[in-house]
Amino acid sequence: MSYTLRGRLESRLAALALPVLAAAAVHQWWALELAGLMAAVGLALDLVYHRPIAYQPGWAAVPLGLLELGVVMLLVRALGVHAPLRWAIVFYGAAWVWGQVLSHALLPLWRQSWAEDGGELGARPTLLAAVALVLPFVGGGAVYRHNLPPLVRLGAGIHQGPLVIDRRVRLVGAAGAVVRGGIVIRHRDVTLSHVRVVGGEYGISVLGVRNVTLDHVTVVRARLDGIHIRHASVRVHDCTVDMRGVPQGQGIDVSYGLIQGENVVDRCTVIGGRDGIVMHGSMGMLTHNRVTATTMTGISMVEMSMGSVAHNTVSRVRGIGILCGDHSMCEIERNTVAGTRRDDAGGNKMRAGFGLEVEFESEAHVSRNDLRANPRPLGVFLGATVDP
Amino acid sequence: MQRVAIVGGGLCGFVAYLTLRRARIEDVTVFSPAADPAAVFRVRAAAIRQTHMRSESDGHCLPTSFPGLAVRDARARRSVAPLVASVLDRYHASVETFLAHVDDERRRSGWSPVPRRVEAVRAVDGGFELDGYGVFEHVLIATGHPGLAVPEELRDDPRVVHAYEPHEYAPSVCVVGAGLAAATEWRNASAAGARVTSVRRREPVQRPLNVPRPLLSKRGLARFHRLDSSARAAELHDLLAPSYPREAHVDVPVERHVNGADQVIAATGFLRGFRHDALLAPLVDENELPTVNGWIALAPDATVPRLTDGERTLALAGVAAQWAYPAADTLMGARYVAHGFARRCRTR
Repeated sequence: MSYTLRGRLESRLAALALPVLAAAAVHQWWALELAGLMAAVGLALDLVYHRPIAYQPGWAAVPLGLLELGVVMLLVRALGVHAPLRWAIVFYGAAWVWGQVLSHALLPLWRQSWAEDGGELGARPTLLAAVALVLPFVGGGAVYRHNLPPLVRLGAGIHQGPLVIDRRVRLVGAAGAVVRGGIVIRHRDVTLSHVRVVGGEYGISVLGVRNVTLDHVTVVRARLDGIHIRHASVRVHDCTVDMRGVPQGQGIDVSYGLIQGENVVDRCTVIGGRDGIVMHGSMGMLTHNRVTATTMTGISMVEMSMGSVAHNTVSRVRGIGILCGDHSMCEIERNTVAGTRRDDAGGNKMRAGFGLEVEFESEAHVSRNDLRANPRPLGVFLGATVDP
Repeated sequence: MQRVAIVGGGLCGFVAYLTLRRARIEDVTVFSPAADPAAVFRVRAAAIRQTHMRSESDGHCLPTSFPGLAVRDARARRSVAPLVASVLDRYHASVETFLAHVDDERRRSGWSPVPRRVEAVRAVDGGFELDGYGVFEHVLIATGHPGLAVPEELRDDPRVVHAYEPHEYAPSVCVVGAGLAAATEWRNASAAGARVTSVRRREPVQRPLNVPRPLLSKRGLARFHRLDSSARAAELHDLLAPSYPREAHVDVPVERHVNGADQVIAATGFLRGFRHDALLAPLVDENELPTVNGWIALAPDATVPRLTDGERTLALAGVAAQWAYPAADTLMGARYVAHGFARRCRTR
């Protein structure tokens, strides 16, 4: 096949239309991002190919396809596209095969003179190209939007709970919307937004599901945990948990979620309670949070947890500001811990007001934290290691 | 007035007929003294004992390049080998496969030409009068090669036989020419036990197809069509120099002149130029059509500009269309011309 430049670009666009639509239909942003990268790389390389490749034999699709795969995957890494490697390659491979079927069989059948026209698709090329490029992305966006969970608005006023969510939903509270008695989330693909929860054993529970987002939620006076996450993968951001007057409660407890994937707690404020934010046997990132006035620890990552504790502010807590313990692996960076108080009540020397404590075989990478305003800035105990 | 006529029922006419049918243009009349579109090809291929086509998978008579003969072959043999060979540009259908394909399509398409030879095409208002058979709006002339070429100095030599005429081999054979037919004859005569010598004016050009591949499609054709008449004629002259694929080459002794061999095989191709064509020569003279070095100057879609307008179309196929498409005497060339002709028939 001897492509003209226009023919290369038009045929490429035609071949990309289906993968882009498919990417939109699978309801994963990484797929759409990958399809976009494939389009950008393919079209850019078409400009490069044009002059040196006057005739492109059928077999050349293999090395050119591998070259393009390499460039796409490099860009995926460089741009931080969260595409699972195996599925990304499967997606790329399927798109490549589709492109071959299209150019070797379907386009020549559809348009008799496709080959002798150098791959050009005929009249109104600009319109065709625009449609081929834009429509899939618009369509993909529409499909993506269509696939979003249904939106339910929670009106202003008090709603008696506990509220159990057992289907895909985006629950958005109006100003002044309050749920009394707690919320339990038992289904994946749930977003809870702008809701205030008062009371309940747990303020908000997320149990055994993935892809849950808690956005701008407020929990007040829960009896045990403000936000209670078990065996789940959740993104919590911009939340407020007030545990004042609940001496045994925990602000945010993320536990046993290693299998489910990463948890994120970002930009939350926790006041009072026993522990501020605690992660047990889980993987995740605790970032940009403010924790204050707790009685056991400010932020703790324990029981073989893995993750990052960064850019947090912990103040006026008793015993330990930030704890990395019990075989955990922690990246602790750019946190500020101040005003930690000694806890001499039990005679435990490991609670002597440490800004940061690493203990019991844990490994912590520590950098650029401000721990000065504490009785003991750093404590390392029981076989733990710290890599400054 | 009738709508569409194809003058000539060889392979080019057959390709045009199938293309028009696919375009749902029904009122097509084909004039051909032979009912078999491959009749001439059959004789010539047999004469040079050709076993495989020079063309690749898309060297077939259908209007679309896919599915090609490799697909047909793969299905028949239940093997992917033809497809792999096609991807590697190494697939050449056997002559047997190609002829079976022609027979199949002939039966399937209801091909039944009017068994007449059109002797004259005359331009009239809104169309073309075909030798008493009526007036047609759109006419494609596909009369094929005008005859076999034999060098003047060999014309009266009793030892001479043209490669495309049936023949056996004498104990010593001198092959004149440097194209695919010559290369085939070097191999055939050597295999038959003859002492073979080659007489040729130039060293053979070795390339897979008749012309470089970009010239088979718009990429190369756009530049070709932009050339002025003299430059295009010069390029065409170079492009049409004898050539054959590298794998067809056989080393045989080369001599400058025909020697005392028992048999002289003229592998010298065909007569060139519209003057040798009994239909085209008077058409050019009567209508004062522009010509260049023996070629009728055609539009890029192989129509005759002076006789083509919004009401009517006169197009040429086959060797006569080389001014528009250098490989017009191949099956791909036939398809190229047929596509252009179908577009005009469909839109006017």
